[in-house]
Amino acid sequence: MSTRLRRLLGRVFIYAVLTAGAVVMAFPFYWMLATSVKSPQEAQQAAPIWFPERIQPANWRTAWRLGAEGDRPWWGGFAPGREVTLFIAVENPAAGAPRARVPKPPAVFSDPRSEATRIRIETRKGGWAVHLKNTSQQRFATLPLVVWIPKEAGRFRAELPPDAVRSQRGYWRLEWENVAPGWFGYLFHNYREAWHAAPFGRYFYVSFVTAGTQVLGGLLIATMAAFAFARIRFPGREAVFLLFVATMMIPGEVLLIPNYILLAKLHWLDTFYALIVPWLASVFGIFLLRQFFLSLPQDLFDAARIDGASYWGMLWRIAFPLAVPGLITYGIFAFLGAYNALLWPLIVTQSPEMRTIQVGLQAFIGEAGSDYGQLMAASTMAILPIVLGYFFAQRHFIQGIARSGIK
Amino acid sequence: MVRTYAFPGLLALAVFYGLLQVGTQVQIFRAPMGAIFVLFALGGAALALWSWRLLPRTRTTSLGLALFTLPLLAGPLLPTTLAWLPLAGVFLAYAGCRARLPERDAAAFWGWVFVWPALALMLIWNIFPSFFALWISLFDRFNFIGESRFVGLLNYQILSRDPLFWRALANTFWYVVFTVPTGIVLGTVVAILLNERIRGLGFYRTVYFLPYITALTAAAAVWQWIYHPEFGFLNWLLGTPGFDWLHTPEGIFALALAPFGVELTGFWAGPSVAFTAIMIMTVWHFLGYNIVILLAGLQSIPSQYYEAAELDGAGWWQMQRHITWPLLSPTTFFLAIIGLIGAFQVFTQVYVMTPTGGVLNDTLTVAMYLYNKGFRDSDFSYASALAVTMFVIILALTLIQRRVLERRVTYEH
Repeated sequence: MSTRLRRLLGRVFIYAVLTAGAVVMAFPFYWMLATSVKSPQEAQQAAPIWFPERIQPANWRTAWRLGAEGDRPWWGGFAPGREVTLFIAVENPAAGAPRARVPKPPAVFSDPRSEATRIRIETRKGGWAVHLKNTSQQRFATLPLVVWIPKEAGRFRAELPPDAVRSQRGYWRLEWENVAPGWFGYLFHNYREAWHAAPFGRYFYVSFVTAGTQVLGGLLIATMAAFAFARIRFPGREAVFLLFVATMMIPGEVLLIPNYILLAKLHWLDTFYALIVPWLASVFGIFLLRQFFLSLPQDLFDAARIDGASYWGMLWRIAFPLAVPGLITYGIFAFLGAYNALLWPLIVTQSPEMRTIQVGLQAFIGEAGSDYGQLMAASTMAILPIVLGYFFAQRHFIQGIARSGIK
Repeated sequence: MVRTYAFPGLLALAVFYGLLQVGTQVQIFRAPMGAIFVLFALGGAALALWSWRLLPRTRTTSLGLALFTLPLLAGPLLPTTLAWLPLAGVFLAYAGCRARLPERDAAAFWGWVFVWPALALMLIWNIFPSFFALWISLFDRFNFIGESRFVGLLNYQILSRDPLFWRALANTFWYVVFTVPTGIVLGTVVAILLNERIRGLGFYRTVYFLPYITALTAAAAVWQWIYHPEFGFLNWLLGTPGFDWLHTPEGIFALALAPFGVELTGFWAGPSVAFTAIMIMTVWHFLGYNIVILLAGLQSIPSQYYEAAELDGAGWWQMQRHITWPLLSPTTFFLAIIGLIGAFQVFTQVYVMTPTGGVLNDTLTVAMYLYNKGFRDSDFSYASALAVTMFVIILALTLIQRRVLERRVTYEH
């Protein structure tokens, strides 16, 4: 009895510790995701908001309807001739008249969107309906709105919660960044804004081209070298292998400056070459694949050789297909390394067109200032490809890491 | 057989000739190029002639050897775009006689063909630059603009008295002292618990591992937000509104002991609050890696040991103490070395969270200082001296660590 109780307590203890640790480990991710769907005012609360307005399904329905009224239910918009109606419930609608305006961007003399929108406020039972009509021939992607509600009107509740509420003399000033958002346009507002605030599409392109080329080129080069080290007896093999082992001792930082100078002399700075070529040969990859090739039975190769296969043929027809797990492991590592790198791309690129996603994100951190919602949205976008990849190839990730640790 | 060396020799000469051509084109070396080209021409001709006598003589082989020799004789007159011609010649020569070559010689050719792409890249981007770093560290402000003066070890002399360098080293020291044991202890605890045949292993492993694969840039941005003085989550949690974690340069020991009237300054003040905050973030980031490695280590311990211990009446703690810990020590040792080397390379999180190196450079690390010197102040020589010093320190520490720990590490085999 007492042993069973002890065992049970032990189990409870294990799960309690693991879960507590998991909460700590996962919290930054939750906080990143939660902040990425917060309006600036929500993000800047002294007490944290655990469930932001934008992830609440009741608001999604309104956002969907408003988006459909404006243009499309998913991504919203404000098409010519469309009318969007936002209802604001108040305790005492007769107490005063609200005002509404489509705000202009700061420091702009004329703004077609605010001039094209005709605003009509209708007093209904229990509140006001704000009608916004697009009288121009132009389609607008978003429709911001500011409404002033007299404080005498009592408590208020807007159909779509405002992104910010401020007190302005006798009025409450309600601000919406977009009152025709559509479901996704509402939920992913910060993502869309961040995507347009910096050329993230280009950053992703640069990152994927860099990482992809490094993986493919690196695989080709490492496979050939690893096969030679493992399965071909040639004069000088031990010496070259020793040289490769010795280069593992060199910390990457030593190479930063000479390689930068070399790239400058080649006029390769700020090009894809600078991002890719210096990292093509990986001693780690060669070691890993060599281990794989060594574990294949020698008879296989002897037989092939007797049958007249060339070394080239043996490499690609026999060794390569059998080493696929190793290749995947190395590919994941090479991709992770290239995709997550900051220091090297920071040094060898100058123009925004050649920024990788990490450099772009780093620059965005400086530019976004205090808009943490957008910043967290950008961070989420930056880690998303790797996290998705992890869920698809979880086993390979874990095995690869474990393998890298055991010699 | 001497003939085995013919093709490796030809290949090496052809590759080096190509490198020389490109190197001359971009003016990387300041050496008497003419003389080097003459040496290549003479050596190439001799090697080709020697190979021609040794190799089975076919028309294609002779043609290939000629194709190999002629560009070498042309030397710098050959346009750089044709620098691959000698290499093509070697392949042609091999194609001509491969049917009559014994296994040994074919292996020598193919082995080198397979190794050369990697070797050439390593030579250009790893091995040559290492020496080049050493070389430019001996100059006074090496740059692209003018001639620089050879000053010997002056940069190293300045470095030894550079307070910022010592600050960076002190930070690195504290980084190792704090993050490596913390990471290993936490990692071991979690790994042991995960190894207890629990349900939901995949879930827990994913949660613990995910931080490691997220980019440090994004992770640092998130933690910066958590550490935010006004709206940060941490200040809300701890009830310390307004505390600016990342801009507080006071040392943590100094702060902790201040209420007792003990005043600590300089090194003994410990890592700054800002640097401690960065270290916490780093432990979070790398913990998953430690766990996966340690879990693999745990799973390689044969279960018979535990069964035998259980029969002898050993308790859970005793088993961990006398079986797990000693048999896990090679893995722990590996993680310690990785952590030590990594400490000198901490850059991304510091650069993102405190782009200027913190208040009074309190979060400066060696890699960060190298970046600042090299790419902000454009002092390549000083930065190279820093890099070389760093290399020597890492090497020395690794060797010491290996010697000291190896005696206490139990290896299975």
